[in-house]
Amino acid sequence: MKKGKLALGLSLLSLLVAVLTVFSACGTPATTTTTTPAATTTTGAGTVATGAPIKVGITTPSTGPAAEKGAPIGHGNLDAIEYINAELNGINGYKMQAVWLDSQYDPAKVVTNMKYFMDQGAVIWGTASSKEGTAAMELANRNGFPGLVSFTSPILYRPPQHVYGQLPDYGDDALAFADYYMKNVWKGRAGKPKFAVMILNNPTGFGARDAFEAKAADMGIEMVKPYYEHSDTDVSMMSALTSIKNVKPDVIYISSTPRPTALIIKEAVALGLYPGVTIASGHAGLTKVLVDTDGADVVEGVYGVFPTASWTDDVPGMAKMTEYAKRLHPGDVGNMDYITGWTQSLVMAEAIRNAVKTAGYDVVAKGDAASWKAVETQGLQTLKDYKVGGLHGPVTYVAGDNRLAKSVRVFQIKKGVITAITEWIDAPLVKYETYPWFGK
Amino acid sequence: MSLPCGTRNYTYAEDMAIFRTKTHWVFLACLTVLLLTLPMFLGKFWMGVANLVLITLIAATGLNLLVGYCGQLSIGHAGFIAVGAFTSAVLTTKMGMPFLVGLIGAGIVSGAVGLIFGIPSVRVKGFYLAISTIAAQFIIVWGLSHWGLTGGSAGISAKDPSIGPFEFVSDTSKYYLVLFFTVITVFAAKNMARTRVGRAFIAVRDNDLAAEVMGVNLFYYKMLAFFAGCFLAGIAGSLLAHCYYGSLSAEYFTFTESILYVAILIIGGLGTTLGPILGVIFIRVLEQLLTVQVVPALERALPMLPSGFASGIAPMLFGLVIVLFLIIEPRGLSHRWNLFKAAYRLWPFSY
Repeated sequence: MKKGKLALGLSLLSLLVAVLTVFSACGTPATTTTTTPAATTTTGAGTVATGAPIKVGITTPSTGPAAEKGAPIGHGNLDAIEYINAELNGINGYKMQAVWLDSQYDPAKVVTNMKYFMDQGAVIWGTASSKEGTAAMELANRNGFPGLVSFTSPILYRPPQHVYGQLPDYGDDALAFADYYMKNVWKGRAGKPKFAVMILNNPTGFGARDAFEAKAADMGIEMVKPYYEHSDTDVSMMSALTSIKNVKPDVIYISSTPRPTALIIKEAVALGLYPGVTIASGHAGLTKVLVDTDGADVVEGVYGVFPTASWTDDVPGMAKMTEYAKRLHPGDVGNMDYITGWTQSLVMAEAIRNAVKTAGYDVVAKGDAASWKAVETQGLQTLKDYKVGGLHGPVTYVAGDNRLAKSVRVFQIKKGVITAITEWIDAPLVKYETYPWFGK
Repeated sequence: MSLPCGTRNYTYAEDMAIFRTKTHWVFLACLTVLLLTLPMFLGKFWMGVANLVLITLIAATGLNLLVGYCGQLSIGHAGFIAVGAFTSAVLTTKMGMPFLVGLIGAGIVSGAVGLIFGIPSVRVKGFYLAISTIAAQFIIVWGLSHWGLTGGSAGISAKDPSIGPFEFVSDTSKYYLVLFFTVITVFAAKNMARTRVGRAFIAVRDNDLAAEVMGVNLFYYKMLAFFAGCFLAGIAGSLLAHCYYGSLSAEYFTFTESILYVAILIIGGLGTTLGPILGVIFIRVLEQLLTVQVVPALERALPMLPSGFASGIAPMLFGLVIVLFLIIEPRGLSHRWNLFKAAYRLWPFSY
């Protein structure tokens, strides 16, 4: 009997391994770092170049505590690359190939994933969140391996090195909302509005905290201290919200991922704090998942800041993105995080295009130190007024400021729809030079 | 300890030897050659994985002393590793001390913190002790992320290690450095388990009341187990900081990681030297294979799956493998290895 169980168990394990091996073999053949000499032929569809694909490393949290954001971002990344290859003639005729890995929102995974990208000859890397960006930063900066992070915190690129922010950072969000609030809601009433800030205990939250520390006094805002921190696995925020209720704030600003943001709003409603107080979320938390989790009634009227277009916007890039999302990942239609991933791949492709134009395919495609330098200095740093199909603010590199797009919009949830209520707002560069983390 | 048929010990030295037969020495030679030439066959990614495996092995060996030999359940090991990592980074980066000072300092500070959180072990055991070590995990991580000296929320960078004129910059050179400390750790732990201290640990684990009646000082040996286990966690933390991450943030040391260390011991085999080695290799390599091979392949091969399903398969498989191990071989891979050796020695006879 015991032997039978053992045999059954071992057979199951063997079967598992065999199935996995078959699946592994079914995919695209393993990528290699060798490149073949470039050649081009002209067809009716455009110039098609023969040569090894140009690889980009992408790691997103498809599982783990930030999967609700990471999965649609990763899908956007990969779908955009399919679009670039199918309809935009790749990168100057060369195929763009994603080396995609799940990060599980785990810094140790990000470090090994980065090494995998370097091994595989990726010419640039991209990731979704500031937490992953922080883990990748050290390897990127030591090796000069340039990368693009969608959702960022100032700590990633202040002072600027080899990590670039695709969009404005969490500090920019906080200040854009504060500015909107002062001009449109507070409207010069006597006294100062009280802002209570609830932040995730990682760069997502600390970015907003540092920005408020830097600018709140100048803007005439009274900050409620301490800043209320939470982790992405907390199951209740009642204690913090009860303390906040006692100080009677005008605004609760949340800089966190969608699940904790949803929890905070739900419990604020349960405590009778909301409606009453104004609640706003930074772009890490403002997503369709927030509405789906809490329900439209609970989050009605909640403000937020986001740096991309919304799905209802009539911008040139929307139709194609919608077409691909409906075909490849219909569950992500309406999710603004998908737009973030989609546009990240477009920005990467544009930067590599510029680099190939000036440095040449043979230099860029190798995926070595020379290639990384070419992609950074002749690619990323030459981006100027790249429109990204209007899906987010124009992308321009300015020396000393590694944020590529610099504008955000304020949104409000109305009848379950995240609706833009302002035009694009430029986010000025905040001085963080005196902060203890600066340059460390 | 059973010996192969025909092998006898004639001296105390032979009786005490770890490597006793020609087969043992051949295996050792092969293993040495393999470990020393490994960088010739591995790329940057797998070198990184090899470094992570070796560092994890040091930490798991420490936990094995504490849990496997002494029976003191700790589910806060990642917290103690964090203490070592930050201590080493502060000593080298902020105070400009040499790497070796940072390394030893990391072990000592981590061991001292382990002693503090180990004190409840005198009064509580089992699940109650587990809860107090979980508290250690959260208190340590919160403290590190809010203390100015450790860089607070921004974290702190850790320089590449250097010893005298030798700087360990490449993954390969770091591999040899980490390998050196791992070999020392494994042999030290093996020998510790065979001494009076090791036997006292086992006595405490098997029945602490009986051990006390026999004259084993429970407080001393429990504290010693906590110090030794956390000392090695600190050493692992220091190597993790300098040879793997390069910069530190308190959120790198998660509760999940602490649980993973316990899983490593269960899968490898508690209270054996071989157990942590097999457990670490199994867990870390499985993790990486799932991440870089299986999940991307599933995403490509099965686009009809619901969004995110393929990625979700990796943690499910990971959990499934652990459950299967618990059902099929609760005494771990090392026990399976011993059964294999016994069968091999008797082959072709069953008994």
